[in-house]
Amino acid sequence: MTTRPAPAASDPRRPVAPGSPHRGRRVLMKGNEAMAEAAIRAGCDAYFGYPITPQAELLEWMARRMPEEGRPFVQAESELGAINMALGAAATGARVLVSSSSPGMSLMAEAMSYMAASELPVVVINVMRGGPGLGSIGPSQSDYFQATKGHGHGDYRVPVLAPASIGEAMALTADAFELAERYRTPVIILTDGILGQAMEPVELIFREPPRIDAPWATTGAAGRPPRVVRSLHLKSEDLEAHNRHLQAKYAAITDREVRHETEHLEDADLVIVAYGTAARVARTAIARARDAGLRAGLFRPVTLWPFPSSALRDLAARVAGVLVVELSAGQMVEDVRLALEGRVPVAFTGRTGGMVPSPGEVVAALRDLATTAAVPDGRPER
Amino acid sequence: MSVAIPEGARVIFGRPELLTDRTNSYCPGCGHGVVHRLIAEVLGELGLGPRTIAVAPVGCAVFAYDYLGLDFVEAPHGRAPAVATGIRRVRPDAFVLTYQGDGDLAAIGTGEIVHAAARGELITAVFVNNGIYGMTGGQMAPTTLLGQRTTSSPRGRDAAFHGYPIPMTEMLAVLPGVAYAARGSVADAVSIGRTKRYLQRACEIQLEGRGFAIVEVISNCPVGWGMTPVESIERLKEVVALEYRPGVIIDRTEP
Amino acid sequence: MIAVAESAPDDLSLGGAADPAGAGRAAPAPFQPVLIDVDRCKGCGLCVAACPKGILDLDDSRVNVQGYHPVRITNPDACTSDAHCARVCPDCVFTILARPKPPRAVPA
Repeated sequence: MTTRPAPAASDPRRPVAPGSPHRGRRVLMKGNEAMAEAAIRAGCDAYFGYPITPQAELLEWMARRMPEEGRPFVQAESELGAINMALGAAATGARVLVSSSSPGMSLMAEAMSYMAASELPVVVINVMRGGPGLGSIGPSQSDYFQATKGHGHGDYRVPVLAPASIGEAMALTADAFELAERYRTPVIILTDGILGQAMEPVELIFREPPRIDAPWATTGAAGRPPRVVRSLHLKSEDLEAHNRHLQAKYAAITDREVRHETEHLEDADLVIVAYGTAARVARTAIARARDAGLRAGLFRPVTLWPFPSSALRDLAARVAGVLVVELSAGQMVEDVRLALEGRVPVAFTGRTGGMVPSPGEVVAALRDLATTAAVPDGRPER
Repeated sequence: MSVAIPEGARVIFGRPELLTDRTNSYCPGCGHGVVHRLIAEVLGELGLGPRTIAVAPVGCAVFAYDYLGLDFVEAPHGRAPAVATGIRRVRPDAFVLTYQGDGDLAAIGTGEIVHAAARGELITAVFVNNGIYGMTGGQMAPTTLLGQRTTSSPRGRDAAFHGYPIPMTEMLAVLPGVAYAARGSVADAVSIGRTKRYLQRACEIQLEGRGFAIVEVISNCPVGWGMTPVESIERLKEVVALEYRPGVIIDRTEP
Repeated sequence: MIAVAESAPDDLSLGGAADPAGAGRAAPAPFQPVLIDVDRCKGCGLCVAACPKGILDLDDSRVNVQGYHPVRITNPDACTSDAHCARVCPDCVFTILARPKPPRAVPA
């Protein structure tokens, strides 16, 4: 085996120790690769994947880096193979990552149900592309329903994290492993083709969440009674008890793990609710709107499940209208309407098919909403 | 459930330790009981019980984990070879075994078994082929024989309509990653003895790191075939074994 | 799990052994080469068909805890402990014991 030269100072593979002068330096990284490296530094034990645009770079980064770290990498025969490999590895207590894009996520739907039912921690990154069907390779947010309410059958939920920048995606990757293991659940990181493909300067700050005991893991029954990782509970009473246990878990996650961010809400008349790339477009739109005298702010859910319903409902009393912006035909907007319970007018603007709403379109939608909601046109006199 | 052994008596055949105490829920005369016992014998004799992580299928043998005292992961239907791959890759010291029926392996799971075999995964795959879907009430399987009546081929399997039975193990044997592929039978004590040796060799191959090993076992389904257990064994010997012939199909470890 | 009997016969030889001490003890029970776990049996009959000596059948006069007619050995003396029954049984009903060698005659 030939020795490889040590990575250059600017190479993100070079270990960054706390206190090192390089800690906090910024490097240009592609989103897919940044998430992959963040997973490796978070202690990802194994990666299973399948090529699909627009996340192939994540798989390729793992193909190169995981063997360097002496850790398993498998390009499976399909996403179906990949997610089931992850199921097996997770059953032994390993920290596991799978990535895909929308059509591949559909193939993983079955296993999501099994993993949720068997309570297996697996992190799944979805770099969303245009759909439905084979769709396009452009960015989209049209898997919101799938991620928060869909994939497989049965009564289960899965935490969904939605970064709006590559740096945030890196941080949420570490958080996702922690959430998955703390609650014994699959966790989805919902990104889109823009975040996956774009390059941004990111600070090389990584975090490896500590390991916790896994007394349920199948590791070989030496010196103890055998364990079974399963989801079959044929007696209805047993399955009901198991479902109650799962629901209690989801209630605990809802209590403790909701995350959202807000910007410019202190004096806002209108609020845009958006996540991921849509939130970034919204930011620009908000700046332009404010220049034109329209006081808008941003409410950015970071957990899509559990959805920040309470915080949104609290906001309703203070604003005159809500605009939801998505790269879809309107999916999160339904959760926004549910949360607001009709207290405030809710409007929607979005694009589908891989198209991205422009700030101009969003500003126009804000203006329409302002008219409907009868918001006074106030110039910023402060 | 126990028998009292007189003191000083020499036991030449007894219930292997790796079988749990439970009486299995398989139908009277079902070959799964024999295959479970052989696995318990082989793993026990090789001392592999404490480090085995086994993967259970969907089908009658979904209950395998109730009858074999091993760590088990329940796989979605057909996915056992992929689940086993995940286990194998993160646990180099484990002994990894899959147990699948003909629907699991030869219908819904064809992709997973082919690719695990192609990758030469260091797993031992047990494939119980009784030519029918027992758990769901007796429907046609990919290995159901031509002319065989099932609940979804009530006039008998017709090649023009249903296609031909699939020789999965012969197909897999073509792949260089397959170090060993054999087909046993539960038809009689001699066949069962040979099947046990095939299982032993398949386990050794994993321990030797030689590659993927699969043992198909042609078995009977009295209820699904609409026969008594004794009649079903006769059919196994006189009909099934002519199409799915027992023997070593390939052994790439032989010089 | 197989339980070992607490009180065992002194002598595992075939029935009818002489009573050397002349103490008038009852003859020991005949050696049983095949122990049957009656409640595990499902009456499938594979062992009956497999036994080369034909000395197994299903006992129609009784029903075990699962509701089946369990197997019984009709002629233990003819059993050679070949274990065909045990090998074909899907339920581990049988435990096969080696027939002990008869005691060597002591020359007078």
